[in-house]
Amino acid sequence: MSKPNTLWSWFWMIVGGLYFFLPLLATFEFSLKARKGVYSFLAYERVFADPLFLRTFIFSLEMAVFTALAGILLIFPTVYWIRLKLPQLRGLIEFVSMLPFVVPAIVLVFGLIRVFSGAPFFLTNTFAGTNILLIAAYVVLTMPYLYRSIDTGLQAIDVRTLTEAAQSLGAGWGTILFRVILPNVRVSILSGSFLAVATVMGEFTIASFLVGIRAFGPYMSLVGQNKTYESSSLAIISFALTWAFIGLIQLLNRGRVQTQIAGAH
Amino acid sequence: MTYLLLSNLSKYYGNTLAVENFNLEVERGEFVSFLGPSGCGKTTTLRMVAGFEVPDQGNILLEGEDITYLAANQRMVGMVFQSYALFPNMNVADNVGFGLSVRKMPAEQIRQRVSEILKIVQLEDLQKRYPYQLSGGQQQRVALARALAIRPRVLLLDEPLSALDAKIRVELRAEIRRIQQELKITTVYVTHDQEEALSLSDRIVVMNKGRIEQIGTPFEIYNYPQTEFVASFIGQLNLIPVQVVDREGGLYRIGGQTIQVEQNHRTPLSSQPKLAIRPEEVKLGQVEGWNQLTALVRQVSFLGAIVRIWLEVEGVSLLLDVFNERKLVLPKVNEKVVISFPHHACWVL
Repeated sequence: MSKPNTLWSWFWMIVGGLYFFLPLLATFEFSLKARKGVYSFLAYERVFADPLFLRTFIFSLEMAVFTALAGILLIFPTVYWIRLKLPQLRGLIEFVSMLPFVVPAIVLVFGLIRVFSGAPFFLTNTFAGTNILLIAAYVVLTMPYLYRSIDTGLQAIDVRTLTEAAQSLGAGWGTILFRVILPNVRVSILSGSFLAVATVMGEFTIASFLVGIRAFGPYMSLVGQNKTYESSSLAIISFALTWAFIGLIQLLNRGRVQTQIAGAH
Repeated sequence: MTYLLLSNLSKYYGNTLAVENFNLEVERGEFVSFLGPSGCGKTTTLRMVAGFEVPDQGNILLEGEDITYLAANQRMVGMVFQSYALFPNMNVADNVGFGLSVRKMPAEQIRQRVSEILKIVQLEDLQKRYPYQLSGGQQQRVALARALAIRPRVLLLDEPLSALDAKIRVELRAEIRRIQQELKITTVYVTHDQEEALSLSDRIVVMNKGRIEQIGTPFEIYNYPQTEFVASFIGQLNLIPVQVVDREGGLYRIGGQTIQVEQNHRTPLSSQPKLAIRPEEVKLGQVEGWNQLTALVRQVSFLGAIVRIWLEVEGVSLLLDVFNERKLVLPKVNEKVVISFPHHACWVL
């Protein structure tokens, strides 16, 4: 009975693998055809030689790192406090955290521009102001990933008892948060952060309306419109970047399974 | 002066009563247990002492200082939890030294204190281990050491042995008592396990439905229960409906058989009086000068150190415990036997 089941499992795995990898392989193969008649990395060389590539990449990376930091500072204490003191609000917070999936990015960015272009904010009048607005928008956009990761991490530990144990030993809120709780959800926070960074690096809609070609997403779009082979190489680079982040998450999660020594006392 | 005073404490969750009018005086170095079934308010009371719950009424005084509204991290009260609550990211030494590092004690002094306290709980060789590398019993010893390291004014233990298996529970129980007596630390212990409370405590507070049923030494609680709840909650108890023949003379009737009770009037007689007697007070056979009843053997269970015999007296079941010995002759099921118990060993509720 088990043999046909195994065969079907392999069949569906191969079908799924082909579905995901064939377009990727085709794109990769196409990106190597920049030089007529031979396979080469010419398209990649051209991309890396373009000063705009590095500039937009670094800008988006900076935005991504600030987004992750701001998101952690906002979401980690909030989720902790809700788990500890206001568990009845968990449903509402979960709903709010899902809103970025429901509200299209274009609606979000037009709303931000409309509100923060005029008095009393005038954020879009300066580069710094626009960058702040971009980070704020990205914090909202990446909230589902960070919230889910941090909430799952906190679910795995007994937040209430650990907090009370630390309190009974004389610890204040800062000590509890940063010496007791944070180290125990570090991996979850990093996982969420990498997802946030990966999302921000490839984001197009918000970036193109707020900062235009300064960000990596709009740059990739521009290249895609004008340069055939380079756009394919950028797609591959973007994939590689995302996979590198996923690989890092896996690396951090490895060895987390801890088993209790049974019987000994 | 009373060391720890809980005065008229009451706590409600919405309309639900958790603790009502709780009064207790604990002396310095005393070991007091809160004993009762789940939901009786024992943990809530302990949490009020720890500072994790604020009472709706009443006061908590520690060494004369009113700590009712003092934050938990300023009370200098050590707490041991049922789930150990060790910090998973810290090794044993860091866990034990946490409270000291919070108080900004120099590192060398922390190291010394941690070693001292780990020696007391017999874990000095496991300083570098992480909680997940320890067994349940070891984790609870670390939790105890961590609570003791700060030299708390009161040690609070919330069902600390419930998650452990029976053998380790008994061992650790003896160790907790030894350490408590060695350090002479005032201790409040919450448990639903009567054996634990009886073996550990100087005094026991028996609680039910948020109220104190009785406060007394283990001997008093077991031998002189003041309410039917205490009598039936602590140990095994036979309760047999009786008719009053002569209350002043202590004469009662079970069916057609008359018994004499050494009367005490600690509790008022209820409308449906019952004779209360512990199974170990009832003996098989006739004993001169004791109450005697005829009974039918319904079941005999061998429990190792004791043999429990289920009897039927005038249609009511009654338990009898006999110490096991090699030459013991046990009655057979459905055999008619005579049982005896002394006048002073029973009472009427």
